[in-house]
Amino acid sequence: MPEADDTGDILEISLERIENLLKGDYGISRRSVGLLLLQEDREIITLVKNHEPESFNRIKEIIDRTKTHYREPLSYIIALDRQQEASRIAGEVIAHAPKTSLSLKEKISRMMINPISGIPIMLLILYYGIYKFVGEFGAGTVVDFIETDIFEKIINPRVTQLFASVIPWQVFRELFVGEYGVITLGVRYAVALILPIVTTFFIAFAVIEDTGYLPRLALLIDRVFKKIGLSGRAVIPMVLGLGCDTMATMVTRTLPTIRERVIATILLALAIPCSAQLGVILALLEGHSLGLWVWLGVVGLVFLLVGFLSSKILPGGSPSFYMEIPPLRLPKLSNVFIKTATRVKWYFTEIFPMFIFASVLIWAGQLTGLFGLFTNILEYPVRWIGLPDKAAVAFLFGFFRRDYGAAGLYDLKKAGLFSGNQLVVAAITLTLFLPCIAQFLMNVKERGWKTGLAISVFILFFSFSVGFAVNLLLNIMGISL
Amino acid sequence: MQIKDIAEILPLVELKCGQKGKIASVHTKNHEALKKLMAMGILPGIKINLIQKFPSYVFQLGQSQYAVDKELAECILVRIST
Repeated sequence: MPEADDTGDILEISLERIENLLKGDYGISRRSVGLLLLQEDREIITLVKNHEPESFNRIKEIIDRTKTHYREPLSYIIALDRQQEASRIAGEVIAHAPKTSLSLKEKISRMMINPISGIPIMLLILYYGIYKFVGEFGAGTVVDFIETDIFEKIINPRVTQLFASVIPWQVFRELFVGEYGVITLGVRYAVALILPIVTTFFIAFAVIEDTGYLPRLALLIDRVFKKIGLSGRAVIPMVLGLGCDTMATMVTRTLPTIRERVIATILLALAIPCSAQLGVILALLEGHSLGLWVWLGVVGLVFLLVGFLSSKILPGGSPSFYMEIPPLRLPKLSNVFIKTATRVKWYFTEIFPMFIFASVLIWAGQLTGLFGLFTNILEYPVRWIGLPDKAAVAFLFGFFRRDYGAAGLYDLKKAGLFSGNQLVVAAITLTLFLPCIAQFLMNVKERGWKTGLAISVFILFFSFSVGFAVNLLLNIMGISL
Repeated sequence: MQIKDIAEILPLVELKCGQKGKIASVHTKNHEALKKLMAMGILPGIKINLIQKFPSYVFQLGQSQYAVDKELAECILVRIST
């Protein structure tokens, strides 16, 4: 082990020798390339190997010889040097006044990360941010207004009238303005139902994101997430999943290992309801507060249990958690606005065609009788979990979009076809049931055909099994919710 | 190194909340862990102040705050300042 003063020199000499051997143009200085080579950056090693194979062996020799001088990896030694130099420069120009007490922001931050005060704060944020703002305001007030006052009163009757006068064939009229018409169902669901719900969700998410709360939530929840094979970092796709599971599945890319990504994808597909679905399910269970708790309990339990089991089954070690905790900030209105607008625009352009497509598919399915066939098949599992046959339609549509399905159940509830128990069982099963087509495609895209398909088959059986078990348990114990 | 010094070096997990010190060294055989710690700027000589131990280890490092799990916190050796 060399003396402290020598270490810099050995590194410096090796670096100089590598610099002299490099001939190619890499767009950055030779010194930077040399430093990256010494730090064994994989990309740059391949690049140099291909660019100048004749001198690469010499360079490799120098790197290997330099390594023998140090006990730690060269990347560590270089980071240390860099840190010392940075500290020296910063020390010359920055003066720190000793802090006498904690700032208000820091006090709030400490409350957020202490489990005793942090868990109530987390529940408050979820309650007001998600339940009250997205669930009640977005999915309730705004949806009611757009759906009832704009679509049902103004748009639907006019469009129906227009098409009735333009298209003489009943079959094609149905395509646009029928029960499952492109305009009366597809456009209406997209604009009246999904748009307000996801917009309010994105506003809430942008505010939470901009305050710097998410990293604090991540550290608070890390220990629980470790039990299900994830780290606190996964809290971001999970919270995002409450907005849109498809987008959240894409965000699982930020997780460091494939194992974590697979577990997160399963849990998102199975047990995290998206905002659209959440909105309709909250509406479905409105007035059944006990039912809401049972739903929350069962879905939460499934989340933890399936996560725990997948972490046991899937190969690989447990993840490690590290995260910077940025200072708390007051969100800037303009930032929140821009983020929300960009996300809503992106989301809407993604899903709008899918809604139209789903409407056309349902129309074609109805026309050819294919849907009738699928519905008849689905009636069996629906009966097993104690639901009326009519609910099968909702489950079939649920595959196109889960909220489509949930909205279907909502219509059945309005028609008074459900008992309290059936309502809860239906809500649970549909929450767990197959993700929408978009999420299924995303699962396949991100995880590959085999995994994507396996997740869907598992969920298909698992959701009905849980529904069956809950129904059975409620009946055996003689509980009616 | 004197015996007195050695007695003052503790892994981060054994510090009390609010205790301050300087990072003495990073002790791990795991390259990945070392990389992560380095990325956070956890390097010898840097001042560190433990803020919280549960549910995660939270500490102040210069002008930044970081949270790590127990496994990573065990790799950080701190020379306690008196």
